[in-house]
Amino acid sequence: MTSASDQDHVAAGNGGGVAALDPDEVRASPARTVPWLRIAVIVALVVVAIVLAYVRAGSSVVVVQAVTTGILIGGVYGLVAMGLTLIFGVLDIVNFAHGSFLALALFLTFGLTQAGLHVYLALAISVPAMFLLGVLVQRGILAGAMGKPLENQLLITLGISLIIENALLLFFGANPRSVALSGDRGVPIFEAVANLSRILAFVGALLLAGLLYLLLQRTRLGTAIRAVAANDTGAQLVGIDTRVIYAVTFALGTACAGAAGTLVAPLVTIEPTTGSLFNIVAFVVVVLGGMGNVVGALVGGLIIGLAEQLGGIYLPGQSPLLSVFIVFVLVLFLRPQGLFRRSA
Amino acid sequence: MRKTWTLSLALALPLALAACGGSAPAGTTNGGGGQSGGTIKIGSLHPLSGSSAADGQQMDNGAKLAVEAINNAGGIKSQGGKKLELVSGDTQGKPEVGQSEAQRLIQEGAVGLVGTYQSAVSANVSTVAERNKVPFVIDVSSADSILAQGYKNTFRVQPSSTVLGTAGAQFLDQVAKAAGKPVKKVAVLHEQGPFGTAVRDAFKAEAQKAGITVDPAIAYDAASVSDLTTQVTQVKASGADVLMVAGYYRDGVLAAKAVDTVKPALNAVYGVANGAFDLPQFPKEVGAAGEGYFDANYHADMTKPEMQALAQLYQSKYNDAIRTGAVLAYDSVRVIAAALEKAGSAEPAKVRDAIASGEVPTLIAGPGTIKFGPTGENLNATPILMQVQGGAPKQVFPADKAEAQPTYPAFKSQ
Repeated sequence: MTSASDQDHVAAGNGGGVAALDPDEVRASPARTVPWLRIAVIVALVVVAIVLAYVRAGSSVVVVQAVTTGILIGGVYGLVAMGLTLIFGVLDIVNFAHGSFLALALFLTFGLTQAGLHVYLALAISVPAMFLLGVLVQRGILAGAMGKPLENQLLITLGISLIIENALLLFFGANPRSVALSGDRGVPIFEAVANLSRILAFVGALLLAGLLYLLLQRTRLGTAIRAVAANDTGAQLVGIDTRVIYAVTFALGTACAGAAGTLVAPLVTIEPTTGSLFNIVAFVVVVLGGMGNVVGALVGGLIIGLAEQLGGIYLPGQSPLLSVFIVFVLVLFLRPQGLFRRSA
Repeated sequence: MRKTWTLSLALALPLALAACGGSAPAGTTNGGGGQSGGTIKIGSLHPLSGSSAADGQQMDNGAKLAVEAINNAGGIKSQGGKKLELVSGDTQGKPEVGQSEAQRLIQEGAVGLVGTYQSAVSANVSTVAERNKVPFVIDVSSADSILAQGYKNTFRVQPSSTVLGTAGAQFLDQVAKAAGKPVKKVAVLHEQGPFGTAVRDAFKAEAQKAGITVDPAIAYDAASVSDLTTQVTQVKASGADVLMVAGYYRDGVLAAKAVDTVKPALNAVYGVANGAFDLPQFPKEVGAAGEGYFDANYHADMTKPEMQALAQLYQSKYNDAIRTGAVLAYDSVRVIAAALEKAGSAEPAKVRDAIASGEVPTLIAGPGTIKFGPTGENLNATPILMQVQGGAPKQVFPADKAEAQPTYPAFKSQ
């Protein structure tokens, strides 16, 4: 049994989680400056990586295709990670059920398209439905564990994910399903080609990221969410109902998973376990982009998408996750706080 | 930022939990002695949940149907018509869970095991079977290494990766030559595990004997891959005229979608033991893009009346089209039942000897009956060639197993 050492890890992690609240707030800078230098360095590194891939592959078509695919898939990773990072940044919950919420949205989308609705119109139902589910889960299951040690919520969300995954298996069976997008075809981009459905998923992810950013930065609700993320006691003192903010933020996170689920439905084989494909990558993206930073999640998603595709060229025959984790470990080593600091 | 490290640790937690779950001892009751009560127990170990649940549940159903058929025909006659009882275990597709479930079924009195779909799980279960001296009949799991351990209690009904890769290359060469368009260059896209690698190696060796260039060979991780467009672009850039794909269902669909998007100039997409291209779901999921896809794979012989009856029974009972995995599980249970009949005893050691020396009819397309060699491989295990024609997979080669003629080149206007 390895549980003894696990408990040590968890205990250590818990101590870190509580203590980390203070340094966060000390770090949080009031100035809303754009970190141009850091962006320039990241862009330069990406360009170097692409040039090296070109040298390695010796074919511009392959590299252009890898970059195109990487950016398109990266946008979707970013959208999945945005919900996760929002929940972690505000509620301090490591939400292992995020992938399962995505799977739930996939099955919901499948059901809606079977009923004759167009895939992208299904967004109008799947997003509110997942928002509502988020409110119910937060108020009903997680509210009691708020402020408790990190592993409490972590185990609850892990349990929720197991329940959702196996309930889907029970009710829908294990046979793979798919959602067809009529008129889906290859669209040429420079020398490369990409499916229309992938491009639409990418554009949808960007639009939703923009909406979420505006919501957080330009509305009273967004200001309240950021206030709770920065200091929940302080937020309570100025009259913000943190219980409502917690529920709304969690629901925004699950709504992101819902939107991602509907957008990727035409791209993936729909099975109860499909969501977990995205889960591990989403966690990496969250840490990479700086926890709680919505824009960072999008940038992190793009970087991971590129790392995955270019990694396939550098290290042929290796799992795409290998290059993802190489980038991850490097970033953790050089910038443990993530590429961008918490926006809150 | 200690939070970063907290989250990183949290990432490792599910892995640790999984490890814990696996090592938990299974409920132990009676020591495995064979028959308890009036029935003889056979253990069925398949992934009933997790990412391979669709196949696992099919295979478990196949084993159930075999037990029902044998019981309806009067049970094991040499043992006074004793009935069989199937006890099922869920491996979740995890080697450590499969191992503890195998131990549990043996302790509950199973005199033989069938399973398990994933090679890594089968490898662990074969160790448990060897330790307990209980025969284990592998229905699906192709890695050569499982039977390379010198174990005496493990048998395999399906062809090994090497047999699949070798026969796959021969079929491709013969079909292309018969069509007057010999294959020049094959690009290989395979999953990176022992299965894909072994198929690639055997295919490459045999293809080179026939004067076919095999290049490039591109590997991917079947568990996490989400797009194969870049890989198929590499295939297009290589100028190969056939793309060989060895993998599972989800990645097979991704490959077909990528081929449809990138449109490389291919004469055929040719699966070897591919988990997608010969399934009835595949043309439904990818639509017209899957038309013409080949798959050299072990397959239920739909030209046999008994197989057609089984397919109908499965459809009416489970409202689903039977897959070859379920037929292999069906056959594997019949192997154990025939051994019980022959041995006249439910003593696992005697059952094992009867399996090793026996010969059992099969519903899988092949040259003969199920008959095991000294290492436990089924000597008559061989694939046949399937092709998606008119939206459904059809048997096309060799000629004596063919339902339809192979179409080569498989694509009309590219």
